[in-house]
Amino acid sequence: MAFATKRLGKELAKIHGNLPPGITLVTAEGFQEWLLDIQVLDANPIYTGKIFRLKFKFSSSYPIEPPEVTFVNTTDRPIPMHPHIYSNGIICLDLLGQQGWSPVQNVESICMSLQSMLTGNTKNERPEGDAQFVASNRRRPRDIDFYYHDNTV
Amino acid sequence: MNSGPDSADVFLESLGDSPSGETSAPNTIARPLPLSSFSSIPYTVQFEINPESTAFITSSPGSPSLSATHKESLTLSSLELNLRHTVDFRAITYDGTIDENLMCPICRCPLVNPVLTDCDHIFCRECIGDSLSHSELCPIDRFPLSLKDLMKAPKMVFNQLDSLKAKCPCCNIAFARSMLEHHMEKYCPESLVRCSALHSSKKCAGVVKRRLSDQGCLHYQVQCPDCMETLEQAQMEDHCHTVCKQRLAPCEHCTTIILRHKKVEHEESCSEVCRPCQWKEYGCSYEAKQDNLQLHNDKCTFKLFGAIAENIKKEVNDLRKEVGNLKETNHLQERRIKFLESGQKASEKPFEFMDSSDANLSDTANAETLDTGHEYLLSLLEVQQNRISNLAAELSELRAKHTVMLFNETIPMKNELAELRSTQQVTCMHVRWLMRFRMQENQRRFGGGPGPAPSGPDGGGPSNEMPLGRRLSDSMTRDLITKL
Repeated sequence: MAFATKRLGKELAKIHGNLPPGITLVTAEGFQEWLLDIQVLDANPIYTGKIFRLKFKFSSSYPIEPPEVTFVNTTDRPIPMHPHIYSNGIICLDLLGQQGWSPVQNVESICMSLQSMLTGNTKNERPEGDAQFVASNRRRPRDIDFYYHDNTV
Repeated sequence: MNSGPDSADVFLESLGDSPSGETSAPNTIARPLPLSSFSSIPYTVQFEINPESTAFITSSPGSPSLSATHKESLTLSSLELNLRHTVDFRAITYDGTIDENLMCPICRCPLVNPVLTDCDHIFCRECIGDSLSHSELCPIDRFPLSLKDLMKAPKMVFNQLDSLKAKCPCCNIAFARSMLEHHMEKYCPESLVRCSALHSSKKCAGVVKRRLSDQGCLHYQVQCPDCMETLEQAQMEDHCHTVCKQRLAPCEHCTTIILRHKKVEHEESCSEVCRPCQWKEYGCSYEAKQDNLQLHNDKCTFKLFGAIAENIKKEVNDLRKEVGNLKETNHLQERRIKFLESGQKASEKPFEFMDSSDANLSDTANAETLDTGHEYLLSLLEVQQNRISNLAAELSELRAKHTVMLFNETIPMKNELAELRSTQQVTCMHVRWLMRFRMQENQRRFGGGPGPAPSGPDGGGPSNEMPLGRRLSDSMTRDLITKL
């Protein structure tokens, strides 16, 4: 735990200092679970005026292993519509999988990647088979072998 | 400091390198707080005793060159109390902002034992090792990479890292990072050393802060007066500062939360504590808090009087001291007078007294005269001793004078002698020269003819004449010298 704690301590210090626009820290209690809010800043009609909440779950081997990042659904924080985001908040992004992850990534860079993923999106839709996936999935997001069927988005 | 967001803030203050954290950390509790999730100390201490050095100490007194090795063994045995500190460079605080280029992209700390990859990226050896065990790609550009492709980073990087100012986790003073472990092992007053009783009969194996190590063994059980917990005296200070559940208490006067341990110090400076007027001892009964007291001081009725009284007090004290001195000298003089009087009495009838000394010895009633007699004798002895020493001094003085005089007189005599000797030698030379001249003349005359005569054709002739002639010449010179 020590290594992850130290690294997250450093990151938290930096986040307290300054964050890029559109990203705000909600809570960072301890070093297991953090909540951050992100919003899309340019005029993308799908996401204007909406704020989305991200939940980060860190394992003890962070940053060697990726954190578990999902969107959470609360009354004023919806799950964004995106062809790679399931309606239960699970994100299909190679950056967050075992293969795409790199230990030089951090909370801030993940948030910025997700921001740009939303910004560049033009399709107001859920991934294929969303309903079935949401109903059947019992696995943790990082253990899912996503089939990146649409690499254009 | 309960929990929740606060705890994270405190952690930042103790570990993070944000400038705000450094300034806002209160002095009294600057060390990492023992909160459940991160109570780790950023350094470890190696406890095992080095078998080599102890062997040296025990064997050195028996070695042949005892005096030479003894000193060394002494310094070693004091070093023996030092402990090796292994500092976790990722958990300490650095002074100032650190160049981003010196940060490891994985642990986000200044690099520790940096290595260079084939693709020209630098990481801590430990970090990249962990990362490569997960996937064999460079974390930055995903270039295929394996452990054996790593090489030591350039010396310049090491130098830059070594010169980073890191704060000592014990005393909080910043040192070059490379010096930190050495500082903690040998000098830091707050770092741990072995108990000074390690080599004594107690063989205490405990550790204690270097600052406290000269107070003897502090490893005995005591009870914290606040929380009633039993602990070792050596840990008492830390306990009162950071661990004790009862360590914080509001000040009775100003209600700010303070450390119980620091109560006395706080009350001296607390603005809410009532203090008496500074002229209290001259009759002012006013008591007030610090601010009001200052107002009062200006208009206190005892202000004028107090200053005068203070002066008088000083003077009285001076006079008292003087009186004491005078008394002492007076006493001394009285004793002297008494002694002189008794001496005079005794000197009037010294022989009488001497004769009856045996009788006095048996007579206890006459103890006082005996005493004065003794004193008199002693004084006589002293006087004689003084005289002797004076005489001795005079004698030595005279001796010195004499030697100087002797020297002064003998030196010109010596010089004269030397002069005479030289003139004598010169005259001798002259005489010899003259003698030789005469001898040659005589030879010519006695020989009756020129050169060939002495080396005549008959071999016996000259051999008989020559010694004769020589003898003659010898006697002649002797006569000449005596005549001269």
